[in-house]
Amino acid sequence: MTMLNLNLPSLSGSGPAKGAAGTALTATQQCYIHPVVLFSILDHYLRRNESQDRVIGTLLGVRSDDGRVVEVRSCFAVPHFETDEEIQVDMEHHGAMFALHKRANAREQIVGWYATGAALSKYAALIQDFYSREAAPFSAIHMVMDTALTDGRLGIQCLQGSAIGVGAHPENCLFLPLPYELQYPDAELAALQAAADSAEAPGGVAALISDMDQLEKTIDELRAMLARVSAYVDSVCAGTAAPNNVVGKYLVDMLAVVPKIDPSQFSALFQTHLQDILMVAYLTNLTRAQLNIADRLQRIV
Amino acid sequence: MAEAKQQAKPMTTLLQDDVDLPALDVSSIPKKLLPVLDVNRSEPLRLVKVDPLAILKIVKHSRENFPSSVNGQLLGLEIDGVLEVTNAFAVPTFLGSEEDMTEYQLEMMQCLREVNVDSSSVGWYQSTRLGDFMHRPLLDVQASYQAATPNSNSSVVLIHDTTRSEQAGNLSLRAFRLSQAYLDLAKDGKFTTQELADKGLTCGSILEELPVHVEVSSLSSVLLNELQWPAGAEQDLLESLQRPSSFNVKQRAKRMADLSAVADDADASIETLDGGLSGLLPTRPTAYLSRPMCTNALDLNQSQNDPTLLSRQLEAVGELIDDHIRFAHQWVYWKRGEAREKNRRQQFVQRKAQSNAARVARGEPAEPEPTEDELDKMFKVLSEPTRLDTLLNTANLDLLTKGVAQSRGPALTKMFMAQGLHGGAQ
Repeated sequence: MTMLNLNLPSLSGSGPAKGAAGTALTATQQCYIHPVVLFSILDHYLRRNESQDRVIGTLLGVRSDDGRVVEVRSCFAVPHFETDEEIQVDMEHHGAMFALHKRANAREQIVGWYATGAALSKYAALIQDFYSREAAPFSAIHMVMDTALTDGRLGIQCLQGSAIGVGAHPENCLFLPLPYELQYPDAELAALQAAADSAEAPGGVAALISDMDQLEKTIDELRAMLARVSAYVDSVCAGTAAPNNVVGKYLVDMLAVVPKIDPSQFSALFQTHLQDILMVAYLTNLTRAQLNIADRLQRIV
Repeated sequence: MAEAKQQAKPMTTLLQDDVDLPALDVSSIPKKLLPVLDVNRSEPLRLVKVDPLAILKIVKHSRENFPSSVNGQLLGLEIDGVLEVTNAFAVPTFLGSEEDMTEYQLEMMQCLREVNVDSSSVGWYQSTRLGDFMHRPLLDVQASYQAATPNSNSSVVLIHDTTRSEQAGNLSLRAFRLSQAYLDLAKDGKFTTQELADKGLTCGSILEELPVHVEVSSLSSVLLNELQWPAGAEQDLLESLQRPSSFNVKQRAKRMADLSAVADDADASIETLDGGLSGLLPTRPTAYLSRPMCTNALDLNQSQNDPTLLSRQLEAVGELIDDHIRFAHQWVYWKRGEAREKNRRQQFVQRKAQSNAARVARGEPAEPEPTEDELDKMFKVLSEPTRLDTLLNTANLDLLTKGVAQSRGPALTKMFMAQGLHGGAQ
């Protein structure tokens, strides 16, 4: 089995550097992360081996042409073994997994790697060096997820390596924070919403609800928000609460978004749309009734 | 049939390799897992529990390949009639041969097993666009899955409706498996009117739907909480509000445009841009999710995102109705032919009996009565065309019309909400 054996030079006394980390590579400036990546990392962490307290894996995604914007779309786990002296990364697994992934999703390339834990691993610079070469000609990003829940939060950090010091050594790497943003496509939002509903339910399990129930829930929440805002505005008008300019500005923004439509125009629109909806509903119901009759008749024959 | 080739293949049989397991110590096994080890037990499946990870992977795969339909493998475990789906992976749609497909899935599952992912297949998933997923390949693949699992009940197909998830702002994920009645009939390949009536198989009872629950691990709920209320989100919001509002909107638009730099296709990103800036509701903060602004549930412009969706659905309904009529005509044609043959056969028997009676009256010996076999040979009755296509057609029609009818309720509600808002504004 091919293993990537990485040793810290100070400990093993190995020779000069193999490549330069972060030099002459286009620096990434903005990073977008898909939620599926975060869930994959958590799942990997939950399924780690008994003696392990850190897991690492490869991040896959796409880049803009100039390499400045990165979108991390998926990831996969890479087994590794780490002691005080050295770290072994299962390169065979990494290669096989990437090849498999490539077949199902040709667009995604290696953009970096992730690790869990509250702090950077002491081998981070070495692994970063390896992934920089994998991600060439662009720089690799490193994502750290604080699964130890320091400060009671699940902190997520995006970093990129930058060469430091005189001469290029893979172990000389400074990790700089990289601004990142989570991306929620519409379909994923719906999925996350369902997951969030389950998380609030006792035991973390809940059934999926129908569109209508979902809408009802949403409207209820919207009404609660409106009630809260009205109460606040009333209390400001009455002088009981201190006015806050920022909130006021926000409310003005919000009201400005409501489109102004002429009442007669609106009612005309409303009527035609209503008729369309009712027509469609009528036709589909008619079709269903016909189908039912046909089905019953078939059984009589 | 090319489509059928691309479908996932059950993997369970292939993975049962002969690994020498150390002797099991029953006491060391968690109580929850004991039923799993009992091979002879067979409890009917009653519930499907899906992990958010599996859901997100399915959603991502279907979304990126929209509008073509994709499929993949589900991994998990069945315990006590509850199927837990914990992971999923995509199966490439353009793999050539069936062997490639099998090899791909096998390799993937082995790789995943190395990192302790559940490596037993519990079914597969497929994405649909309009909601009409009842097709022969689906039934065939699902049948092979159910045949491959030992007690034939721990395999489901999850159907993810991408458009519905996106537009209604509510996840549309349904779990199905084939009913026993269908499996019995499929074994003989006999789908005649008589058999269907005997077994009571209708378009609604080909597939059994199972309730889908979403199960979130504690760590995942921490993550969800973090996504909903990230540290510093309020600060960001306050900062962005310190700037003039017009610039604010522009900046948001710019941020959306940034996203499009790496987005799949330009169309999708333009849609988000329009959807984000127009409409009744304020723009959605992209940095965090919080109800109710985050989903499209309240989006009045549903039809604007994809103006052709409803008409496409209705077109599909129209086509299916045409097919339905065609099938009905075919059947009636066959029925007429069958009746004609029967008629001729009856007349022949009668004539024979009459001539025999005449011969007996004349004192001649009667001709031997033709046997049933001889009659069958003389009057060939065409076998009934298979009713499966008709059945599937009806099932699709049922699914489509149901989907359209169900989406009308929320649409009406939202319209009246908009009216209420306008009434209040004046």
